[in-house]
Amino acid sequence: MARRWLDYKTGAWVQWCPGCGDFGILNAIYGALAELDIDPARLVVVGGIGCSSRSVYYIKGSNVHTVHGRAIPVASGIKLANPELTVIVTGGDGDLLGIGGNHFTALGRRNIDIAIFIYDNAVYGLTKGQAGPTLPLWVKTKALTHPNIQGNVNPLLLAFAAGYTFIARGYAYHVNQLRGLVKAAILHKGSAVVDILQPCPTYNDFMTQEWYEKRIYYLSDEDPSWDPVIRSPEDVKVKAPRILEKMLETGDRIPLGVFLQDLTKETMEERLDKVMPGYLKTPPAKRPIDVKGRIPLHPFRIFKDKLLET
Amino acid sequence: MTGLTVDLNIIIGGPQGGGVESAGQIALKVFTLKGYNIIGTREYHSNIMGAHSYFHIRVSDNTPRALRLPVESLVAVDAESLLTHVNDVAKGGIVVYDVGSVDQNALTLAPMEHSLKKRIEKMFSERGARPTVSEAIKLLEERGVRTLGLPLKELLRKTSEETGALLASIARAVNIMGLSAALHVLGVEFPYIVKAVEAQFGKRPKILAPNIAAARIAVEYAREKYGSGNTLPDGPHKGRVRMIATGNEIVAMAKIVGGLTFESFYPITPSSDEAHYIEENKYLDVGGDFKEAGLDKLSIVTLQTEDEIAAIGMALGAALAGARASTTTSGPGFSLMNEFISMAVEAEIPIVISLWMRAGPSTGIATRTGQQDLLHAIFSGHGDTPKIVIASGDHVEAFYDTIKAMNWAEKFQTPVIHLLDKYLASTSVSLDEWDLDPSLVEIDRGKRVYGPVKDYKRYEITEDGISPMAPLGFNTMIINSLEHDEYGFVSEDPIDREAMVLKRVRKFETISKSIPETEKAVLHGDPEARVTIVSFGSTKQAILSAVEELGREGVKVNFLQIRVLSPFPKDLVSKVLGRAEKVVSVEANATGQLAFLVRAHTGHSVNHVIQKLNARPLYDVDVVYGVKRIIESGVERVVVSSGS
Ligand SMILES: Cc1ncc(C[n+]2csc(CCOP(=O)(O)OP(=O)(O)O)c2C)c(N)n1
Ligand code: SF4
Ligand SMILES: [Mg+2]
Repeated sequence: MARRWLDYKTGAWVQWCPGCGDFGILNAIYGALAELDIDPARLVVVGGIGCSSRSVYYIKGSNVHTVHGRAIPVASGIKLANPELTVIVTGGDGDLLGIGGNHFTALGRRNIDIAIFIYDNAVYGLTKGQAGPTLPLWVKTKALTHPNIQGNVNPLLLAFAAGYTFIARGYAYHVNQLRGLVKAAILHKGSAVVDILQPCPTYNDFMTQEWYEKRIYYLSDEDPSWDPVIRSPEDVKVKAPRILEKMLETGDRIPLGVFLQDLTKETMEERLDKVMPGYLKTPPAKRPIDVKGRIPLHPFRIFKDKLLET
Repeated sequence: MTGLTVDLNIIIGGPQGGGVESAGQIALKVFTLKGYNIIGTREYHSNIMGAHSYFHIRVSDNTPRALRLPVESLVAVDAESLLTHVNDVAKGGIVVYDVGSVDQNALTLAPMEHSLKKRIEKMFSERGARPTVSEAIKLLEERGVRTLGLPLKELLRKTSEETGALLASIARAVNIMGLSAALHVLGVEFPYIVKAVEAQFGKRPKILAPNIAAARIAVEYAREKYGSGNTLPDGPHKGRVRMIATGNEIVAMAKIVGGLTFESFYPITPSSDEAHYIEENKYLDVGGDFKEAGLDKLSIVTLQTEDEIAAIGMALGAALAGARASTTTSGPGFSLMNEFISMAVEAEIPIVISLWMRAGPSTGIATRTGQQDLLHAIFSGHGDTPKIVIASGDHVEAFYDTIKAMNWAEKFQTPVIHLLDKYLASTSVSLDEWDLDPSLVEIDRGKRVYGPVKDYKRYEITEDGISPMAPLGFNTMIINSLEHDEYGFVSEDPIDREAMVLKRVRKFETISKSIPETEKAVLHGDPEARVTIVSFGSTKQAILSAVEELGREGVKVNFLQIRVLSPFPKDLVSKVLGRAEKVVSVEANATGQLAFLVRAHTGHSVNHVIQKLNARPLYDVDVVYGVKRIIESGVERVVVSSGS
């Protein structure tokens, strides 16, 4: 029997503020997991630290709550050690693009089959509303004593530059559309990122539900021929200018949907299997390391380059 | 030297990247082929090309414990090497140099460090001389050192003419020439040099032929100028297959045979070569050995990460999924790993961190040795984070310790920090098959559960503090860096909190009880000796050698080597120190870190300390000198300073 969204809900009290965009994201994830019918014991949700990262308690899985900014390395190690697991990362803009920005970039280069969900509220929710890396310059939210004097990073462009092979933007309160994006990101073979615009009614009184809903629109609604899928190296040349143009669109109009899905790049797991055939069959988590507790190897039989016959 | 019929000590110097590295390797091979045991270390600047570097080698028919100064032979094919090591050569020794360098003056040698220039200038001006190579040769001859000048330019030209190789392409052969001439004087037969050069360069005829020709031409010249002395007899270790490997390589080997399946790292001296050797061997044909387990290839995922935080983070993730995982680093990288070490304690994740210490603080001297990270390792991670810290005294210990560390990490679900250092990293030794025997160690992965468990509690409260560990992917659960209940679910409840803290405390007690005191500390030498040296890590062999030397001079000293620094062997250490009249700690740090630890755990104050602070290896002469000074004058602290 196929699983339902309730099968992914834990008994934990969801401790977000009333009206927090994170609820919408959580519901979208539940729905996507149910549609994909993923066995919770084979699902690994990895979180950093932040309001958003607490999703690891609310989604049934074999989960890991790591430290601030470091979900991606841990998730990468898990996936490379056991590629059969479904590995997703839930975290905030501060966690993934601020303190963890280096790891965010590195994952794109690796194209490990992991889906990253950025709960992007442009503030540090859990630490009481400081400016996040996606808060625009000169914006003053109510928790700030002065307007923001640092500019904002564009997560989509950053992901594009880093080499992510699936890049999308969603909106927290559009649960149905978001469910589709989450599902597509999980299904995508390679590093996927969905930047999810998430109103934080408690601390971000600038980028509110109303503010977002005046600006957002779906790429495929506006342009039914919108096709972000890269199927060949030539496709990149043809489609990149339009993709970049859409990624750059900010301000009064904020596009949502899939911006890029590149099917031409092999995943890190495939690369490893290429250099070490058999890796996928016996990855690090599964490979025997002994024979009944014994070590059947001797350095003198293996490391012949260091031997000398005297 | 008692017990050693042959005890040869050699320094081969030259500019970095100019072939001195291969010459050193060839020397190690020559003497191993001759049937001797060798130890050889590489001292180099944090520089790619041009700065002075050297190989320091000891050869003997017994196992040479440590390097020795002064040396009997100096191969100095450039002026900087000769001037740098002019005081390192013993009376009766031999120095091989380039006659073309005689007019060179220390003050005009661009790569030479300013302070060294000044010291050399001062030394020579006190003799009323200029700091030149010819003056250095004069000085050496006055001191009873034999000198052999090679007209290297001419000999190179001859090599080029004979082999047709371009002069520019064989410039590096000067190192081999210098070495070969020295080997001739030491009585090594030419065929051994040929064999060693072949072993070094493999079957690359383009490199091989000119190098062998260069060696022959140098030997011929030396024979003509110097005649031929006695042939060096073959040593007792001929007729076997032997291994020459560095500490970096031995740890890599131990990880591979010990079941490592995942290593993530960020490049840093002196740890990188360990990771590189694993990488080189990440896909191994093991044929019959693993048949029973259904494998004929062993693969190890090795990944260079974006920084050390990711390096440890990935290894932790891999370990959670069930891999045997480790990372490798040095002080600066270890600093970055701190937060994750804390998480590994809180979330109870097995991980081995090979910590190759180098001279700090900060970037310090990246390519030189030190023991300054002992307390950093023990106290790494915030918030009550006991962990295992083990320090290896030499290569053989490093091999077994590596496998042990991986077992302990998994058995006790804890980070294990394996303390090593630059000296071990870049020191090569000769080994026999029985020195590295993995069949002496079993693989132990502790309380692992594979498969679904009903009502699985990852952090189940148990008497020994250790809970059954299921890799991710079998059960729903939460691995948590936050304080948690038995299921791993976050909890700030006071009862839960206390129970979890105490569970981790009990676990550490279990660790402490499970590792016998005699495995945590070893007393070498006469238990009744009045003076006890305490030390840890790679100082071991130099101290043992010094203890022997002091014994011969009638000074009774024993040596308490602390192998496991955490959990600390307080009972054994208390017992031994309680008997001693004088306790001397020997350590390569300025703050007396081991002395601090001993006092903290046992209440025994360590009244004397011998400190090596110049970022060079510890020599037995350092220890002999330090102990004597302490006995004679009662001083608290002796700073020992040998090494160039
Ligand atoms: C190393 C470290 N520094 C700082 C913190 C404090 N801290 C906790 S959450 C957080 C920011 C959270 O912001 P974000 O990742 O955007 O998540 P949100 O709460 O907005 O969902 C910070 C700075 C920490 N836990 N660890
Ligand atoms: S602080 Fe903001 S992000 Fe955090 S739970 Fe409250 S509304 Fe949500
Ligand atoms: Mg945020």
